[in-house]
Amino acid sequence: MQATILQRMDGAARRLVPFGVTLVLMLFAMTPTYVPGLSHITPLYALMAVYFWSIYRPDLLGYGSTFAIGVLEDLLAGTPLGSGALILLLCQWIVLHQQKFFNNKPFGVMWLAFALVAAGASLLRWLCVGLVETSGFTPVTEMAASYLMTVAIYPIVGWFLAKAHMKLLAQ
Amino acid sequence: MRAPTGQISRFGTLKTLLQRFAFLSLIGLTFALMLIGKADTVLVERARDAVTDAVTPVLRVMSQPAGAVADFVNNLRELAAIREENAELREANARLLQWQSAAQRLEAENKSLRSLTALVPEPTATFVTARVVADTGGAFAQSILITAGQSQGVKKGQIVMAGEGLVGRVLQAGMYSARVLLVTDINSRIPVMVGEAGNRAILAGDNGLRPRLLFLGNTSAAAPGDKVVTSGDAEAFPPGLPIGQVARVDEGVVEVEPFVVRDKIQHVRIADYGLTGILAQQPPQAAAGK
Repeated sequence: MQATILQRMDGAARRLVPFGVTLVLMLFAMTPTYVPGLSHITPLYALMAVYFWSIYRPDLLGYGSTFAIGVLEDLLAGTPLGSGALILLLCQWIVLHQQKFFNNKPFGVMWLAFALVAAGASLLRWLCVGLVETSGFTPVTEMAASYLMTVAIYPIVGWFLAKAHMKLLAQ
Repeated sequence: MRAPTGQISRFGTLKTLLQRFAFLSLIGLTFALMLIGKADTVLVERARDAVTDAVTPVLRVMSQPAGAVADFVNNLRELAAIREENAELREANARLLQWQSAAQRLEAENKSLRSLTALVPEPTATFVTARVVADTGGAFAQSILITAGQSQGVKKGQIVMAGEGLVGRVLQAGMYSARVLLVTDINSRIPVMVGEAGNRAILAGDNGLRPRLLFLGNTSAAAPGDKVVTSGDAEAFPPGLPIGQVARVDEGVVEVEPFVVRDKIQHVRIADYGLTGILAQQPPQAAAGK
């Protein structure tokens, strides 16, 4: 049966969901919360989204999209250009290469695996920023706090991502 | 039956190869970007300007709900403390009235003394007010994006203040948006004076909550509670703008607690004192090339 134009547009819009959601999460990380002490430990929201979609819909989020989101984040955030894109790409690559491991695993395992991926990503980002910036390295405590926040908040963000996945991409 | 399977697997291999190629070239590109970011700052700055200009309207909409919630919570808090605050304000008002008369007396005295010494007056500042729409960088950079840019007269190097004191400097100004480097950012260096003695030092951010004092001749010259204000050296800031107070002195490390709390800023004032300062100078490579 031939799909109508509307159906095709609907399909195309749905295929854009992973990219769109990751983009919105990246921007969400930058919106001020006005809660004292929070902006210092902003979690790596974009990393959570890339991790999630690489597990569940690797077909809908390509390396190019991930790269674009990472570069956009660096341009907006004032962090060294390329450092954000690098960790997102590596996260995606690791997940795609461990598809068998991620297949049908309970949430606890996914969370633990995310904690490992995020640890590597935070450390790498910290190294990149420290090596590129002329003024030296950010204190390790700041990086660690941001990392812990990232791991702690993953279940909440993961729940929202799962909802979006089921509502918009269930086929 | 066998031919199609073979074709599919060949397609599969091709796809994997393409993907691997894409991945490797993009990784290479990220490293290239890091190098470009270090080498050609002008190009990267232009790209940043264009992107912030384009995304600021989106961020403005996204930041509105959080702003509304913050206002609501503040209102509730103020309502709860309204009686005590009223009493405090009455007291403060009485005190300020005394100060006002003192200030008027001093102003008159100042005027007559200035006429005696033929002092050249300091340039007066013009102000632009803008809203903070993004708080970027998390743990790795400390800057905010504001809703005023070159079209409102905002220029690179200008000074950004909030109610309590200095917020930072304009790092880049797009057409309709600008990025402000906070005093706590790892790249922030501000010439300051410490305490009543006015000891000179450099206030250096490190991406933590409390920037530190560098090059303070003698660390015993600073004690917790000492006020830290801009010194006006290097012509980057006018002297006397409040920044914070010394919070801790420990084995040669002097930490300063800024008056302005990064998370609470909703609006800022961008001041133009007509200072050229170190930021507005040409980049070193360009200057060396001439």
